[in-house]
Amino acid sequence: MDVSGRLLRYAAGRPRPLVVTAPHATGVRLLAEAEIGRRGWRPAEAPAGASLLVVCGIPEDALARAVRTVWHQIAAPKAFVPLSPDRTAEAVAAELDAAVSRLADARAQREEAVRVPYGEPRGRDGGGRGGAEHHGDEGHGGHEHDMGRPGGVRMAERGPDRDGLALDRLHVPLGPVLPYWPAGLVVETTLQGDVIQEAEVRIAGGAAGAHGARAGATRFWDEPWLAARAGWPVTRGAAARRTAGAQLDSLARLLATAGWAGAAAEARRLRDRVLGEGPREEVVRRYDRFARRVGRSRLLRWMLHDLGAIDAPGGTDVPGWARGDVLDRTRHRLAGTAAALAVLDDRSPLDDEEGPRGPVGGHPSEALLAVLPGLLTGAELAAARLIVASLDPDLDQVRPGRVTAHG
Amino acid sequence: MGGWTGVVALVILLTGALCGVHAVAAATRLPGTLEAGPFLSGAAPREHAVSRYHVRWYPVTLLFLAFDMEMIFMYPWAVVVAEVGASALAEMFAFLVLLMVGVGYAWREGAFRWT
Amino acid sequence: MGETVAAVVLLAALAVLAAGAAAFDASLAAGRVAIGDPLREAARLLVTQRRRTLLPDAPLRRIGVSGLPLVAVLAAAVLPMGEHAVADLPVGVVWFNGMEVGVWGALWLIGWSVNSVYPLVGGYRFLAQGLAYELPHMFALISAALGAGSLRVADVVAAQRGLWFAVWMPVAFAVYLISALAMAFWGPMNQAVGPDVAGGVPAELSGPDRLVFQAGRYTLLTVASAAAVPLFLGGGAGPALPPWSWTLVKTVAVLALLVWAGHRLPTIRMDRFMAATWLVLIPAVLLQILVVGIVVL
Repeated sequence: MDVSGRLLRYAAGRPRPLVVTAPHATGVRLLAEAEIGRRGWRPAEAPAGASLLVVCGIPEDALARAVRTVWHQIAAPKAFVPLSPDRTAEAVAAELDAAVSRLADARAQREEAVRVPYGEPRGRDGGGRGGAEHHGDEGHGGHEHDMGRPGGVRMAERGPDRDGLALDRLHVPLGPVLPYWPAGLVVETTLQGDVIQEAEVRIAGGAAGAHGARAGATRFWDEPWLAARAGWPVTRGAAARRTAGAQLDSLARLLATAGWAGAAAEARRLRDRVLGEGPREEVVRRYDRFARRVGRSRLLRWMLHDLGAIDAPGGTDVPGWARGDVLDRTRHRLAGTAAALAVLDDRSPLDDEEGPRGPVGGHPSEALLAVLPGLLTGAELAAARLIVASLDPDLDQVRPGRVTAHG
Repeated sequence: MGGWTGVVALVILLTGALCGVHAVAAATRLPGTLEAGPFLSGAAPREHAVSRYHVRWYPVTLLFLAFDMEMIFMYPWAVVVAEVGASALAEMFAFLVLLMVGVGYAWREGAFRWT
Repeated sequence: MGETVAAVVLLAALAVLAAGAAAFDASLAAGRVAIGDPLREAARLLVTQRRRTLLPDAPLRRIGVSGLPLVAVLAAAVLPMGEHAVADLPVGVVWFNGMEVGVWGALWLIGWSVNSVYPLVGGYRFLAQGLAYELPHMFALISAALGAGSLRVADVVAAQRGLWFAVWMPVAFAVYLISALAMAFWGPMNQAVGPDVAGGVPAELSGPDRLVFQAGRYTLLTVASAAAVPLFLGGGAGPALPPWSWTLVKTVAVLALLVWAGHRLPTIRMDRFMAATWLVLIPAVLLQILVVGIVVL
C-alpha cells in the first residue's frame, strides 16, 4: 500500500499556486487568475506554502533569476506552469490540468524532490542556499564560514535612522516575486525594524532591458487607445470596459493588500465579468453592491487615510487621480469604475487619450514610479505596500531606460 | 488532585498527537531536504534576518507593564468586591483613574503614535 | 480516570470544531462549498519534503509551532463541556488568560527562529497587537468574574442562570469578541500573518510544521469562541436540549461569526488601533466593570 502516493494524488486536486507575472503579460495573468479563482484554489503567499509556480509571460534577466530562485525555494511536490503571453483561456486551463497530473505523479515528484539545482551540490553545509549566482553581486565568494559570516551571509550592520539612532538595517527587495504586486516592479529597500529607511525603484523582467522594446511588447490596459490611434475602429464602450477592468484590477490588489480577502475576490470576479463582455445591467448591479460595501467601510477608511499623500504637483507630471492619500485614490478608482460602467454600451468611436492611468501618450506610470521612493521612505512596510497598491503603476507603459528612482 | 490529572492528560495526549503528525510525515514525505534561502521576492539574502529590531512602540510596552501589574490585583479583587462592599469598588477605581490619567499623559506625549 | 476520558473528549471536540472552522474558512475563500480542502491541504503538507531555511534555530521553531496548539488546548481545559470541565480550577478564568498569553511567545519564537525577514516582522507585529488587545481582554474577563464573584468558570456559568452576561455586559462581550479575534490572529486582527508580508509568521513553515501551525490557529480560534459561551452566553443553559449540546450550538455560532468576520473586514493595523484601544476600549470596559461592580454590591 503506497500511502505516500495516495496522499499525493489526493492533495494534487487542491494545489497552492504562487503566480508571478512578467511585464507585457497582463492578459494571460488575468486568464490564469480567473481560472485559479474558478477552481477555488487558494493562492500561496510565499514559496514555503506553494506547490505550483505559475509564471505568466516570459521573464527575462533579473526576473528570470528571481523566478529560478523562488522555484528552488518550493519544496516538492511541486509543478512549474509557464504560460506564454499568447495563451487562450482553454490553453491556460489545460496547462493547469497538466500541472495537477504532474503533482499527482508520485514517481515524477520523487525525482523532483532529489533533483540537484544547477551545479550546486545538495546538502552541503554553508553557502549556496537560495540562489548561489547572486553572491557574485557583492564580490564575495559566499562559501567562507568564518565568525563574521555564518552560512556565508553577513550579520546585519548598523546605520543611522531618521531619528538619529544607530540601528541594524536589513536590505529587503520588494518584488518582483510578491503577491498583489505590480508585474516587474522591484523596490530595493533598507529596513530598520519594519520602517523603510531608503527605497530605490528598479524594473525586473525586460521592460528596461534591450528586449522590452521589441515588437509584441503589449500594453494590455492601454490597448484600445493605442489601437484607435493606429487607425483601428474602437468604440468608447470597448475602451470603457478596459478602463473598468483596470480600475477593478487595481482595487483588487489594494483590497487584498489591505487584508480584505472577500472584497478583493469580488473585485476580481467583477473585473473578469466586465472584460469578458458581461451584460451591462448585471455588471452594474453587482458593482453597485460591491462599491457600497467598500465605499462605506469605516474600517477601510480608518486604515487608508493619511497614507502616501501626494501634494499639489511641484514640477512632476503625476496624473491628477494620484493626488491625495491612499483613501482618495481608492475613492477615485471606485468613481472611475462607476463612470466607465455607465458608458459600457456606447458605440461611438473612441477619440480621447484618457487611459485607465491617465493620458496614454504620456506614459503616466513613469511619473508614478518617479515619486514612489519619496513616498516610501520613512513608511512602515504595511503602509508601503498599500501605497504601491494604491498607485499600482503599470510597468508595461514604462519605456526602456526611463526608470532609476532613488529615495 | 483538583483537576490537574486532566491537565496532565491533555499535555500527554497532545504531545502524542503532535509526535504522531511528525511520525506520519516522516513516513510519507518525499525524500531529500530542500535547502532554501529565506523568501526575499526572489533575491538572495545580503544579511541574516535575525537582528536588533527597531521596536518603535517601546513606550507602549512600559505603559502595558504598569497596567498589567495592576491586573494581577484585580483578579482577587473581583472575588471579594461583593463581600467588602463599596469601599473596595471606590479604592480600585481611584487607582484605575490614576492609571488612566497616566495613559492620558502618555497619549499627549505621543506614546501611541509611531509612524 | 474520568478526567482522562474528559481530556480525550475535549481533544476530539476541539479537533472536529477546528476542522469545521477550517472547512468554513476554505468555503468562504473559494466562494463555494469546499469542505474537503483542508484535508487535501493536510495531505499535501504530510507529503511535502523537508525544507530548511538558511541557519534556522530549529529548537525555537519546534517550541513555537508546538506551543501554539498546546496553549490553545490547555486554555480549553477549564471550559465546561456541558456540565464539567476537564479541570475545574478555582482560578479557571486566570488560567485561561495565562495560557492564552502563551501565543505571544509562540508567534515570536516562530518569527525569529526561521531567520527570514517577513516572519520576523510578523512576530513583532503580533507583540504590538498583544499590547493593544491584552488589557481590554483581561478587563472583559474580569467583568465576567466580577459579575459572578468567582474566578471558577463553573461559578460564572451558574451566575448567569437569570440573565446572560452578554445581555447586561454588552461592552465586555463586544470587547471579548474583538480580543478573541486578536488572540487567534484572525482577520481583521491578522496583521501578524498578513498578505502584505507574504503571510508573515508562517511564511517559511512547510510540511508538518505548517500543518501544526494551521491546526493550532484554528484550534485557538475555536477555544476563543468556546470561552465566550461559559463567560457570556450562559454556558450550557437552554431549553429542551442537554447542556453539552447547547454548549456546542453556541460555540459553533460564535465560531462561525468570527470566521465570517475574517473575510468580511479589512485588516486592522496596530499603528492606527493602538491609540483607539487605550483611549476608547480600555476606558469603555472599565466603565463596564464599574457598572457591574455597582450591580453586584
